[in-house]
Amino acid sequence: MTSEPLAVEYYVPLIMFLIMGAIVPIAALAAVKIISPLKPNRRKLSMYEGGLVPIRDARIQFNVQYYLFAIVFVIFDVEVLFLYPWVYIYASEVMQRVMVFGMNIAVFEMLMFVAVLLLGLLYAIKKEALRWV
Amino acid sequence: MDLSAIIEPVSSWIDQEPLIFALIIGLIGAAIISGVINVGAMAVVWMDRKVMGDVQRRFGPARVGSRWGLLQLGADAIKLFTKEDSIPIGADKQVYVWAPIVASITTMLVAAALPFGALNIGGKEYPLVVANMDISAFYVEAALSVMTVAIFMAGFSSNNKYSLLGAFRGMARMIAYEVPMGVCVIAVAVMAHSLNLVEIVNSQSLWYAFAQPLGFLIFTVALMTDLGRVPFDQSEAEEEIIAGYTTEYGGIRWGLLYFQEYINMLLGSILLVLLFLGGWNGPNIPLLPPISPMIWFALKLIIVLEFLIWTRASLVRFRIDQVTDLGWKWMLPLSIVNLAWAAAVGLYFA
Repeated sequence: MTSEPLAVEYYVPLIMFLIMGAIVPIAALAAVKIISPLKPNRRKLSMYEGGLVPIRDARIQFNVQYYLFAIVFVIFDVEVLFLYPWVYIYASEVMQRVMVFGMNIAVFEMLMFVAVLLLGLLYAIKKEALRWV
Repeated sequence: MDLSAIIEPVSSWIDQEPLIFALIIGLIGAAIISGVINVGAMAVVWMDRKVMGDVQRRFGPARVGSRWGLLQLGADAIKLFTKEDSIPIGADKQVYVWAPIVASITTMLVAAALPFGALNIGGKEYPLVVANMDISAFYVEAALSVMTVAIFMAGFSSNNKYSLLGAFRGMARMIAYEVPMGVCVIAVAVMAHSLNLVEIVNSQSLWYAFAQPLGFLIFTVALMTDLGRVPFDQSEAEEEIIAGYTTEYGGIRWGLLYFQEYINMLLGSILLVLLFLGGWNGPNIPLLPPISPMIWFALKLIIVLEFLIWTRASLVRFRIDQVTDLGWKWMLPLSIVNLAWAAAVGLYFA
């Protein structure tokens, strides 16, 4: 295995996989177009809504509370993203040299970072931001 | 073994020409793995039906293709392929058509970086993986969650209230469990000192399921929600919202979405085996040294799949608010606790 900083060759096969992943369903859809009958009418194409005539637009407005989930998610997902590079350095020699309260500096800093975020989570829970409506 | 005489020059050539090798392995790998995961998912569908039948004291498929019902899926495929292909009025046509394709691309991209076992040739293990990247655990976990985008595309474009509800539920559920799942992957990487799935497997002299039981539990639950298996299938809860995001899908388009879910289940189970159950590690089986890692791998994989099907048969569906609550208020703090445990053990004992 080569030890280049950016090993492009690992990512080259992904292009082929992407194309292959697209070809399979497109081929299936093309085959269906050829072999299956097609006689559409209005009744057939109308959508299902409990057996009744659909009422109003289907794209209803969702409660704004729902989007608070998304906002909290962004915060915590970025936290997780910061943890990934941390995995590589936390046990390295350099980090072992500086000790804070008996643990190495990388671990201590990550603990602080996570603790602050957990406080934020507690606040969000207390404010009922994470309540399903 | 004579095989190692062939492999040595090949591997030295690989080191010299990595880019050409990547192109070749990409082409061959894409063809082979596409076949493997599709056949594998067919086996999973068959297993799902048979085990569900067993649990519910009935036979399951038993007519088409001998008394084991082996060709039932073929019969289903014929039915789906000859069915009329209709797109509902008012649907967002482009998005509606692309949703199953995006799902299929997602599963293929996940499969690209997953090791599908290993072969033991001449005392050396060769993992069967196409893109053996340094961050494959991160990559696989990220690619798995793109499936939610496909689900949202399908639900949002259908112009149906039930579909939309399913899409919103799917998104909220994924959001709630993505973070604990990511933290669990990090906890594993902290113990293994690597994000490469092959190295993670090789570092498991003690399975991580035993080294960090809490993480194993959280990851299993998060995986089940990610795969949308009962008790976490709120996005297609048929008793509540007809069929959720697939309500307006029919024929082969529905078939594709359904099948991608099973492929996803297969790949997710493989990920679970690799991260927590020691992958292909196991004692060498006499007489069959080259494929003994494969046997262990297949054995663990079947047990995990059986477990997933069994939970589906025995548990009831949670409400969506219970699921999001469980994810945010229990899983997330507990996964952080598990990370602290993993960091402590990884620093001082490993």
